[in-house]
Amino acid sequence: MKHLLTVAAVASVVLAPLAAEAHGPTRKKVTETVEVAAPADKVWAAIGNFQDMGWHPVIGATTGQGGNAVDATRHLTLKGGGTIDEVLYKFEPEKMSYSYRIAEVDVKVLPVTNYSSTITVTPVDTTHSKVEWRGAFYRGFPNNDPPPELSDEAAVAAVSGVYRAGLDALKAKFEK
Amino acid sequence: MSRTACRATLAAVALLLAAGGAGAEEAFITEQPANAVAVIDLAAGGAGAVVAQIPVPGAPAGIAVTRDGRRAYVTSPDDKMLSAIDTASRTVVARWPVGGGPLGIAVAPSGTPVFVADWYDHHLLVIDPDRPELRRQAETGRSPSGVAVTPDGALVLTADRDDDAVSVIDARSLKRLAVIAVGQRPFGITLDAEGRRAYTANVGSNDVSVIDVHKRAVVGTVKVGERPYGVALAQDLAFVTNQYAGSVSVFDVATLAPRGIIAVGEYPEGIAASGDGTKVYVANWFDNTLSVIDVKTLTVTGAVSVADGPRAFGAFIRRDP
Repeated sequence: MKHLLTVAAVASVVLAPLAAEAHGPTRKKVTETVEVAAPADKVWAAIGNFQDMGWHPVIGATTGQGGNAVDATRHLTLKGGGTIDEVLYKFEPEKMSYSYRIAEVDVKVLPVTNYSSTITVTPVDTTHSKVEWRGAFYRGFPNNDPPPELSDEAAVAAVSGVYRAGLDALKAKFEK
Repeated sequence: MSRTACRATLAAVALLLAAGGAGAEEAFITEQPANAVAVIDLAAGGAGAVVAQIPVPGAPAGIAVTRDGRRAYVTSPDDKMLSAIDTASRTVVARWPVGGGPLGIAVAPSGTPVFVADWYDHHLLVIDPDRPELRRQAETGRSPSGVAVTPDGALVLTADRDDDAVSVIDARSLKRLAVIAVGQRPFGITLDAEGRRAYTANVGSNDVSVIDVHKRAVVGTVKVGERPYGVALAQDLAFVTNQYAGSVSVFDVATLAPRGIIAVGEYPEGIAASGDGTKVYVANWFDNTLSVIDVKTLTVTGAVSVADGPRAFGAFIRRDP
């Protein structure tokens, strides 16, 4: 979270990283969930548009192209500065689920590489639902002996923080 | 082409017949964050059963079971070690520091040497388990990932991920004989039973390059799903894990025509076929399961739960000699 909120304006991008760049030795995974006192279709209506991340408290603006079709893109501008470019690779409204990957992010904004993620809403009962947000990624440093801010632990903490903030805000929105 | 295809089919049939009487098989599945290797009895009721859990430190990822089934060699990229597992006693009998970024691994058909691809230091490390102090190296391209050895033990192939190429290395002299340009970011590499063709899963271009080993050339490219990882061959079909798509793409190895897409778990990675070619096993890294695919029906017939983060990158099936 701190990374997301404290980073200043975007530095000039020297070279766009390739879709599958070199990475650390061990891929990490994070799963965060929240139960919301609202029916699944209502929660899906709030988060199921790839072109609108407005429900997440750290996202200032979402712009993008391609709607909810596979290969659609979105450009997230964070309230604290920094941007993230993402690509949709799976959209399954019947399962209330979509999957995306990060095409480009400065490791100072989010200390990860080769990041992919899935967010899914499942009904618990007619008035409650569960939202699960999963991510798979490598740390920000693509070689052995990373500095602490680009370590495996830093990557896991940052992604968990993003998911937790989003899911807690979603719960608060429905249960206020 | 048709004559070649016919010969390939005959060879496959012959192989099937030969393998018909083979004994029980086990899967040795690296569980990376769990720091362990699971042993799954594939003949147990249902989809199979975990019969042992072997502790292996350092986030084990790559695995190579010897042809005689006595040893399994495992890479641990986090502590930069190579481990030797005695498959009968289910114990780690040796660990050797290898440095760099050990990931992809293969073992010669005779059981020695072991070939370890160094993802960070960009070479192939060659270790004789009986004389591990004597290390040799072969030159590869950048970030060698998957490793495969021809059935006659003559050649070693590495998928050099960051060079978009495959190196062909003489297993004896360790001379790099050829560099074959393939698709973008080749990761897994699998040879057929004759050592005639190799298949690379190209993470960056979402396709498989089909290599004629003798000609040292790509003879076909097959589109698969998002982020392919590894390839298994069973009967006349190739099965390719698609990490992001959560599926396995199937194509005919003779015609290269697509035969279907099978939904498996999330982040499917390591993939291998049973000796008789009737089953294909897939390690689902995110879901912590091993899916079983029936080759005849191209459907998932079951799954076995394993510990966290199964990768099983390499030849993970142990067969009785």
